Amino acid sequence: MDEFNDNEITKLLRLKRYEQPSPGYFENFLHEFHRRQRDELLRQPFWRICVDRARDFALSFNLSTLTSYPAAVTAVLVCAAVISLRIYQAPQPATVAAKDRPALVVPASSEPEWTLASPVATRVFNTRSLRNIKESAQTHRSGTPRYVLDSVPVSYETTFKF
Amino acid sequence: MRRLSSSSSGQGFRLLARLAFLAAAASLSAQQTPESATSLSREVKDVFERCAKAVVKIEATDQHGELSGTGFFVDPTGTLYTAYSVGGEAENVTVEFKGKKYPARQLLADLRSGIAMLKVDLASPALPIGNSDQLEIATPVVAIGYPLDLAETPSFGMIAGFDRKCFGGYFPTKHLRVNLPPQRGEGGAPLLNLKGEVVGILLYTFENNSCYALPIEAAEKIRSDFVRFGEARHGWVGANVTEATTPVEGSRAVTKDIMKDTPAAESGMKSGDVVLQIGRTTVHEPEDILDASFFLTAGDVVPITVMRGNEKLTFNVQADFHPVTRDLPRLPGMPPGGLIAAPPLSNRAIPLNLQSVPERTP
Repeated sequence: MDEFNDNEITKLLRLKRYEQPSPGYFENFLHEFHRRQRDELLRQPFWRICVDRARDFALSFNLSTLTSYPAAVTAVLVCAAVISLRIYQAPQPATVAAKDRPALVVPASSEPEWTLASPVATRVFNTRSLRNIKESAQTHRSGTPRYVLDSVPVSYETTFKF
Repeated sequence: MRRLSSSSSGQGFRLLARLAFLAAAASLSAQQTPESATSLSREVKDVFERCAKAVVKIEATDQHGELSGTGFFVDPTGTLYTAYSVGGEAENVTVEFKGKKYPARQLLADLRSGIAMLKVDLASPALPIGNSDQLEIATPVVAIGYPLDLAETPSFGMIAGFDRKCFGGYFPTKHLRVNLPPQRGEGGAPLLNLKGEVVGILLYTFENNSCYALPIEAAEKIRSDFVRFGEARHGWVGANVTEATTPVEGSRAVTKDIMKDTPAAESGMKSGDVVLQIGRTTVHEPEDILDASFFLTAGDVVPITVMRGNEKLTFNVQADFHPVTRDLPRLPGMPPGGLIAAPPLSNRAIPLNLQSVPERTP
């Protein structure tokens, strides 16, 4: 830009004013554009061309309609499988717990006993706890207290005495 | 024609007037309902805010384990009422007050009334004592208790009845049947009127949304005994009453038998006497005897008016200890089973140990 001064630029602009395209340029413009576009496409690798063709072919059909039914059927089958597996496996934890408990409680005398493990005195037959007194007390302390509201009076009057 | 037209116009005017009156009444009632509901809600909220600070959570242990119930202060020196099931047979009693736990000791446990009195050595707010005799069916009441492990909770309901008999037996005195939803842990909670006064103590649940409360007068009788004698002194004169076939002077309560060597026998009462009045209690039915009997105090003289034939007689009888309490251990200085005319020297009532100025709640 430094090589040109204002006068030289003015001369060039004057010359440009008289430039004209060659005859038939505008008639052949579209043909020439398509030819160059094809040349550009042919420069892409073969695999990419195949992918593009396949995609165009697939999109020519309504894919959402074709895939919705199989997708729904698959989802139902998966849900049914999960639910059936859970139902089938549910009794297993109870079995495991029942196996673990006898480590703490063993059959003892035939005398019925009272346990303090529950806030309300609960009668437990034919079992004896293996926990010692301190452990029992700790268990009790951490348990829920008995929230008091009686359902029957603590005393009655028997007859009309005074 | 003029008469006809004038009469038809008069009827039209009357119809219009009626319609206008109905519309006005409907709009007035529509306006009043929400206002009255809001007013009632405000009253309940006011009672709760004023009284909840005198209601405490009680924790203790008994033979079945840990228990939790409710109690409330009735004087500024830390004396509180609760249910017998909460503080009657429990040990290691603690009272949760203003977020802190204080040890409490038992002053009195009365199996007959179903209440216990505890004492905490601190200055406390106190609920004012009301009058349950002023209660009527459908009178609104509020209970404040500690259900389960929750904070103090108000319950709103109404008086549903005044019962002497339920669950196949007789209460020692008339109980208030209250239609409000009680929850576990609210045994010993105060039953309040909308002035914020205690009118009862919640003791028993009855079906799902009802409960029974001891009238506060019955609890105050026990407290009065404790202040006078250091213990509850249920009185007894030694008469059995049954129902007469025909009323005499409005009473069907006739003495069935008078027990030997009892105050009734010594005063001259005989079987067949129709009981008209015991103290201030007028007797109409044998069930009225229960109320009169509960408020007798051993050692006090009570006038008993009876009808013998056509003669109305009044006997001044000095009540003895009720058989229920006769065999209980006495305080030092008291003869076992004997009558005591004057308060004993060793009165355990309300040792004053105030830490700050007491606060009266309402």
